[in-house]
Amino acid sequence: MLKIKNIGKNFGGVKAVDDLSFNVDKGEIVGLIGPNGSGKSTTINLICGVFPVDFGNISVNEQNISSLPTHERVASGISRTFQNIRLFKDLSVWQNIWVALQQDSDQSSGWMREWFGNSKLQKEKIKEILVFSGLGDRFDDLAGNLSFGEQRRLELARAIASKPKLILLDEPAAGMNSDEVADLRQRILDLKKLGLTVLLVEHVMELVMNVVDRIVVLNFGKKIAEGSPENIQNNKDVQKAYLGGA
Amino acid sequence: MSLYFVTILTNMTLISFIAISAYLILIVGEVSFGQQAFFGIGAYITATLTTLLGLDIVIALFFSFMVSASFALVLSVLTIRLSGFYFAVASLSFAELFRLSLYKIEYTVETNSGTVGPNGPEGFQNIRWIFENNVSPDNFLVIAVSSLLALIILLIFMENSKLFKNARLVGKDQIVAQSIGIRPFFYRVGFITLAGGVAGFGGGLFALFNTYIEPSMFGIMLGVHGLAYSIIGGLGYPLGPLIGVFIDIGLLESVRFLSEYRMILFGGLVAAILIIFPEGIISPRLISRIKRKLVKKTNA
Ligand SMILES: Nc1ncnc2c1ncn2[C@@H]1O[C@H](COP(=O)(O)OP(=O)(O)OP(=O)(O)O)[C@@H](O)[C@H]1O
Ligand SMILES: [Mg+2]
Repeated sequence: MLKIKNIGKNFGGVKAVDDLSFNVDKGEIVGLIGPNGSGKSTTINLICGVFPVDFGNISVNEQNISSLPTHERVASGISRTFQNIRLFKDLSVWQNIWVALQQDSDQSSGWMREWFGNSKLQKEKIKEILVFSGLGDRFDDLAGNLSFGEQRRLELARAIASKPKLILLDEPAAGMNSDEVADLRQRILDLKKLGLTVLLVEHVMELVMNVVDRIVVLNFGKKIAEGSPENIQNNKDVQKAYLGGA
Repeated sequence: MSLYFVTILTNMTLISFIAISAYLILIVGEVSFGQQAFFGIGAYITATLTTLLGLDIVIALFFSFMVSASFALVLSVLTIRLSGFYFAVASLSFAELFRLSLYKIEYTVETNSGTVGPNGPEGFQNIRWIFENNVSPDNFLVIAVSSLLALIILLIFMENSKLFKNARLVGKDQIVAQSIGIRPFFYRVGFITLAGGVAGFGGGLFALFNTYIEPSMFGIMLGVHGLAYSIIGGLGYPLGPLIGVFIDIGLLESVRFLSEYRMILFGGLVAAILIIFPEGIISPRLISRIKRKLVKKTNA
């Protein structure tokens, strides 16, 4: 479903992503790992269109999205979470979901209504998403008052609210204890059950090795390995990269 | 009411249009140092249309709005890739370009009421609409206040619309806004354009009230004041900018023994207010707190 072909991105002299190619099939969970600064977040940003690729091609379901602006990529079924949690902290939990739901163009009821009228509340829908995300009891709280783990869940909930087909998670387990990681693992598997495709960027190997179908390894912006979790664990190049010897 | 008082109230009303226009741009997360230019464009348009073409005030003000909004539209499209202080500097450059061009624009016509038309550094004299239509200062105040009130009511009403909600999200965090499917450029362009129109409308009223205008009136200090009013008033609610206006002109200028020191006092006051209320007096946070209280009450 996601096809990344020879993409590259330079920041000044830094080749953040360098001639990277890989695919993610429908319904798959693919892990994208690599040492700090190896270009994982940049890859997510390129897929979302936060900045354009310098070269190469990204397509989703055979549609080339490389030159689409971010909001159109979202409309075509991509959504994401952020490495550094980004929520609207002075809005309540349900409002953080609501603002995402509202952008759904299927809900449109004529442009006058849409832009100038009072927006529909969709409380049941919001509740459903929050319960699914384990935030059912936090409905009215301010997003900024949630615990760290809950904020991560809210980000995930918001990403789900955009009705994605492909969801990109940027280090969702960072800073979590092992109970929280186990909970997150279950949530990611739930996404898979719903038929979603997941690209998981993660340092926490306890999570990656136990949830993904396949792993792509980056180092200095280049793919150095790809394969099943077992394969990658035994790969010499990968071990070298993580020990800083590459 | 004394004439002095009426004049102060009218000035407060007119400058509120600049404050609100600065507010509209701050909402989408940008800072403009150039709203005085749109005020100026509006002033010159209304002056021209009422004196040279003898058009009705409603039509003149409509064109002030439209022409200023068009200039703002062009500016916002040209600066689409700029944000933060790059946009701020671009807006200021545009405003200065406009102001300096005014010194060069000369097109005057002799009429029974004197020389009219833009006349370079001399400005635009004899905007006699007020006298020709026997509009007393009190009546003019009514016109200005009702226009402002209509604008404020419209804005308050629109606060609940998706248009304004999305605009605020873009202002808070453009990256997140984008990644939930919002098209940031649409809001940026839209709000900068609207802000230009609002300033232009106010400028049109200003030209009629003042009866003459000149390039030096549309310098950066005008824009900076508008900006300061909306920042200390807060971005939570359309009434915020009016609070800023009230503090500066209402309190400092109208209290006679303070008015001499107004600029000094105002500078200090802005600093003091921002230390106490870092996000302005009516901050978005305050508004969302009030709304949550109200919702809890109605649910209980
Ligand atoms: N917006 C940017 N401007 C300039 N350089 C950037 C930018 N984003 C990333 N980089 C650089 O690109 C390289 C790759 O960064 P990236 O954030 O993609 O790494 P990462 O694999 O996500 O690392 P981490 O595990 O620390 O999150 C780094 O050298 C980084 O400094
Ligand atoms: Mg990263």
